[in-house]
Amino acid sequence: MATLKEKRTCGQRCQDFGHFVWNSDDGTFMGRTPEKWVYISSYYVAFYVVMTGLFALSIYVLMYTVDPYYPVYQDRLKSPGVMVWPDMYNDEVLEITYNMSDKHSWMKMSSCLQHFLEPYNDTKQSHCNYYNCTSGKYFFQPKFDAPKHTKWSCPFYQSTLGNCSGIEDSTFGYTTAQPCVIIKMNRIINFLPNNGTGMAPYVNCTVLEGQENVRGHVYYPENGTMDLSYFPYYGNLAQPTYVNPLVAVKFDLINQRHAKIQCRVMANNIAYQNIYEPYEGKVDFHLTALS
Amino acid sequence: MSKSDSYEMFVEMDKMDGDMDVKIKKKKKIKKKEKLESMKKEMDIDDHEITIEELEMRYSTSINKGLSSNLAQQILERDGPNELKPPKGTPEYVKFARQLAGGLQCLMWVAAVICLIAFGILRAKGELSSYDDLYLAIALIAVVVVTGCFGYYQEFKSTNIIASFKNLVPQQAMVIRDGQKNQINANMLVVGDLVEIKGGDRVPADIRIITSQGCKVDNSSLTGESEPQTRSPEYTHESPLETRNIAFFSTTCLEGVATGVIINTGDRTIIGRIASLASGVGNEKTPIAIEIEHFVDIIAGLAIFFGFSFFVVAMFIGYAFLEAMIFFMAIVVAYVPEGLLATVTVCLSLTAKRLARKNCVVKNLEAVETLGSTSVICSDKTGTLTQNRMTVAHLWFDNMIHAADTTEDQSGQSFDQSSETWRSLGRVACLCNRAIFKPNQETVPVPKRQVVGDASETALLKFTELTIGNIVDYRARFKKVCEVPFNSTNKFQLSIHELEDPLDLRYLLVMKGAPERILERCSTILIKGQELPLDEQWKEAFQTAYMDLGGLGERVLGFCHLYLNEKEFPRGYAFDCDEMNFTTSGLCFAGLISMIDPPRATVPSAVMKCRTAGIRVVMVTGDHPITAKAIAANVGIISEGSETVEDIATRLRIPVEQVKKSDARACVINGGQLKDMTSDELDEALRCHPEMVFARTSPQQKLIIVESCQRLGSIVAVTGDGVNDSPALKRADIGIAMGIAGSDAAKNAADMILLDDNFASIVTGVEQGRLIFDNLKKSIAYTLTKNIPELTPYLVYITVSVPLPLGCITILFIELCTDIFPSVSLAYERAESDIMHLKPRNPRRDRLVNEALAAYSYFQIGAIQSFAGFTDYLTAMAQEGWYPLLCVGLRPKWEDVRLQDLQDSYGQEWTYSQRLYQEYTCYTVFFISIEICQIADVLIRKTRRLSVFQQGFFRNRVLVAAVVFQLCLGNLLCYCPGMPNIFNFMPIRVQWWFVPLPYGILIFVYDEIRKLGVRRHPGSKYPSSVGLKSYLHIIFHLT
Repeated sequence: MATLKEKRTCGQRCQDFGHFVWNSDDGTFMGRTPEKWVYISSYYVAFYVVMTGLFALSIYVLMYTVDPYYPVYQDRLKSPGVMVWPDMYNDEVLEITYNMSDKHSWMKMSSCLQHFLEPYNDTKQSHCNYYNCTSGKYFFQPKFDAPKHTKWSCPFYQSTLGNCSGIEDSTFGYTTAQPCVIIKMNRIINFLPNNGTGMAPYVNCTVLEGQENVRGHVYYPENGTMDLSYFPYYGNLAQPTYVNPLVAVKFDLINQRHAKIQCRVMANNIAYQNIYEPYEGKVDFHLTALS
Repeated sequence: MSKSDSYEMFVEMDKMDGDMDVKIKKKKKIKKKEKLESMKKEMDIDDHEITIEELEMRYSTSINKGLSSNLAQQILERDGPNELKPPKGTPEYVKFARQLAGGLQCLMWVAAVICLIAFGILRAKGELSSYDDLYLAIALIAVVVVTGCFGYYQEFKSTNIIASFKNLVPQQAMVIRDGQKNQINANMLVVGDLVEIKGGDRVPADIRIITSQGCKVDNSSLTGESEPQTRSPEYTHESPLETRNIAFFSTTCLEGVATGVIINTGDRTIIGRIASLASGVGNEKTPIAIEIEHFVDIIAGLAIFFGFSFFVVAMFIGYAFLEAMIFFMAIVVAYVPEGLLATVTVCLSLTAKRLARKNCVVKNLEAVETLGSTSVICSDKTGTLTQNRMTVAHLWFDNMIHAADTTEDQSGQSFDQSSETWRSLGRVACLCNRAIFKPNQETVPVPKRQVVGDASETALLKFTELTIGNIVDYRARFKKVCEVPFNSTNKFQLSIHELEDPLDLRYLLVMKGAPERILERCSTILIKGQELPLDEQWKEAFQTAYMDLGGLGERVLGFCHLYLNEKEFPRGYAFDCDEMNFTTSGLCFAGLISMIDPPRATVPSAVMKCRTAGIRVVMVTGDHPITAKAIAANVGIISEGSETVEDIATRLRIPVEQVKKSDARACVINGGQLKDMTSDELDEALRCHPEMVFARTSPQQKLIIVESCQRLGSIVAVTGDGVNDSPALKRADIGIAMGIAGSDAAKNAADMILLDDNFASIVTGVEQGRLIFDNLKKSIAYTLTKNIPELTPYLVYITVSVPLPLGCITILFIELCTDIFPSVSLAYERAESDIMHLKPRNPRRDRLVNEALAAYSYFQIGAIQSFAGFTDYLTAMAQEGWYPLLCVGLRPKWEDVRLQDLQDSYGQEWTYSQRLYQEYTCYTVFFISIEICQIADVLIRKTRRLSVFQQGFFRNRVLVAAVVFQLCLGNLLCYCPGMPNIFNFMPIRVQWWFVPLPYGILIFVYDEIRKLGVRRHPGSKYPSSVGLKSYLHIIFHLT
């Protein structure tokens, strides 16, 4: 025992280690002869090859069982998320703050929206989504009627957003105290927003703080509805050209021109009260116009 | 020892380099060493050599009047009170600190510090998105502290058991000062005081005897001799320990009275020096602590290797230096097995508890295992191997040696009592005996009754009480008329009695004493009730019997009687004891009775078991060589047929020098010989004689013997009870003290205490120690395995940038919650083979964790578990909409808190919190995979060689319960409401529980195949021949 316990100097330890790395007495390298190293490493190579093979096989079986059109489970997507554009964050809080007189500042906002609305360009839409949808009811498509074994998607035209479309006013109102924001609801396969028969979901914005600073707000399209014909969504393999319906809101800021606003997509089956899911069914944001 | 010294020892012990000046430390060390060396030398005092006058001069005292009170007061102030300073118990905070500073604990401290540094870096960079690092650091510290408290509590409890044995009766002493006799507290005595001791007293200090009347002392607590030692004023030996004119502190005066001058008090007494010698001897690191350090080395090496290689990989991929550094730290920390510390502590304390139930109390948890690796037991004789009471062992009458029953509970065979001679011999033994039982002990079994009288008379009294019956009554029937007590000049004792038959008016003279003296006085001998003339033939027979019994190490007494002539000594004759006005020759020899302190009944079988377990039992005693050898032969320490060099010399009739030493298996060395031996010679002796007995050894020599055994690479257990054993107990790898007979000093120095003083309990300890070593191996292998499936998710996360598959909190739950129970339950696994038939493990070769075991756990079983986890992870992701290929490189977007519409493989859009819950689902799925695989793992770890089918699946009930519990806990974590937001567990789909199942089965089958290979190809780990066979060897003998 004594020999095991005696304290060794660092030099001795290093020497021991060196001896361990290459022991010239019995020709072992790191405790094994090179020959045995070949054995052991070839065993490990074989082991890992077999294991990787098994792993690949199980992933193959997994992918084989997965339906490319429809996910097996939607446990986390019971209710869609809602987001606002321009998506300007300060840390983790949405804060749309702009300076009406600072071109750099409002250009940031307007170009964000311009960029966001690119896919909704009227010509683009009429080019790829030319199917004439019947508005006011769900657009169920049990079969793949569209070309290339796909399903039809309803077009959403930028112009539908009226004053907030950026067509007439490319600044989206950010040079004034009447900025536009665009609300989008996330798409979920086979999700049907339900407000009673024939009733479409709609966006409803309320001012949470600074009511006195908001004179009013206007929805585009009218009433902020999202037409039922955009639902259900069939996934990007079936509907490669699908676009989410949008709702634009134009606020009229007065006084300090600052408010905290909540925009909610109203439907019976859209949840919004889970404090752990801040973007579920609604979006909260601060809107501030500086001059 | 000064305070700083003890501090230094603590520092040394824990291998922590304080910022003490190295030079000072070295100097102190040298000083300490010198001090110890000088202590190890024989004590040199000359107070026993000088004349009384010189003694009076030296201590300015008078042998008539004693000291003057004033002077006594002054000396008391100078020397301090006459008591042993209580051994400086380790302060409680140091004991606690020790619990926090083991090998594993240090590893965890380092990991916690690394976590805090990583947390600090992230915080400084302002990229703090989670508090995982902080939680981890807190968890690590909490584990260390909680297990520390647990361990401390365990040791505190056993210390309490031990403390309850202490008896605190203040001792009184009779002292003569200013010519006045006073009774004062013994601690007030000073050097030079004249004291009086009488039978039953404890000697209050080291005393030079001035006058004595039949004073005998029991030195067994000091030297281990069980025979009473006569104390008289004569100077008989140059060694203070051997000479008759010194009585030692804490020994007991058995009979007689004596007065003497105190020559040493308190810590300066012989016993005090021995006690301080014990505290000067360093404590040895336990083997398990060494094993754990070795294991920590492996872990740390692997952690740094892995961390560094991934640091390089991360830099190569293009991470910033600081980020790569954080990865490095995280990987190093991930390698720390958080749960292992708890597992080891719990396993050890479970065994400690099991041992406590079998009367072994362990003071230090780690010592539980030490007995298992013990290869040499140095056992004290008196009280440990023997019963520590003189007992009649043999009788010689009718020219035959009869064996008496020496067992503790009188369960042995008795001899033939029909002979007429026996009746006479029994009568002599009964009557010629002054010992009496203390009153009110009718209910106590005879061997346990308390007796007033010396050891051999006590033995005879008990023997006759058992064989003849009611001695008080018997003696009353033979009325004693005269008695001559034993004295050292005539060496016999006689008494004269009236006969029980009232018509027979003769007197009976009975006599006992040293056999040769008794024989001188006899002219006839009693054979089968016939008085025959004592001729040369009978004398020859007597000599042979006497030699035989003496050779057995027994104390032999001769007995004879004589019916006094009625005419010469009529009733009413005035017998005069001093004049001896009666016949004391021409007696009739009745027989011999020999006595010995017999071995405990359980000892021979225990020694045998130790032998089969490859443990060498060495006897180290203060007793005489002949007695020691006889007892050693009796209990099997010297096995049948083994001879010493001297035996061979006598058998072959050649001089001792001509005997080849290697021929002698046994060897008896006495203290005198030992004194002249160099340490090399002693090593040599221990090496070439497997059966060793050391007799007449001093405490220092015991220490030297233990050290010599340790030099030869043995792990040494020392058993003992006396103060004289305490330095050796302390020095040993494991000191075992006796709970009942043991002195406080011995108990203090020991690591383990046998509450029933039973040597056989040691065998239980060995068995449990070996079992726990085997089972700890299994527990550790089990615990280590899951490190890899815990680490690989992180590695894949940083290299392939997938969403994190396994979170930090989840890992902590696996380590500290679900997997603790199965790993502890492995401690209940029964042994695979008969562990008591194996040799003790070789501390150099048989490590707790070797590289092969770590590699097998990490890179094979751990790898399979990782594959299982990733399969389940990818399944959960793909089935929720995230295809494997999409996951690659997804991390930056996935973790972007500001991205609320990330598209999955189906085009569905996910908010950040939805993704986060999906990530938690992955954590849970990975967690479940590890759990399922760990169930397979715990099943394979049940055995290392046998098939699990041979061992039995359900035989270890605790393990089954632990697995069920683990599953329940897993379910609770998954499905208890509120879990997602507290501990990041999600209720997962039931089918995801079954995804890892094939991998679990694979683990089981794979290991069964390996075990089959081990059983089919047993043998050395590294065979010399090359080829497929040796290839198989390398693969199979991985654990």
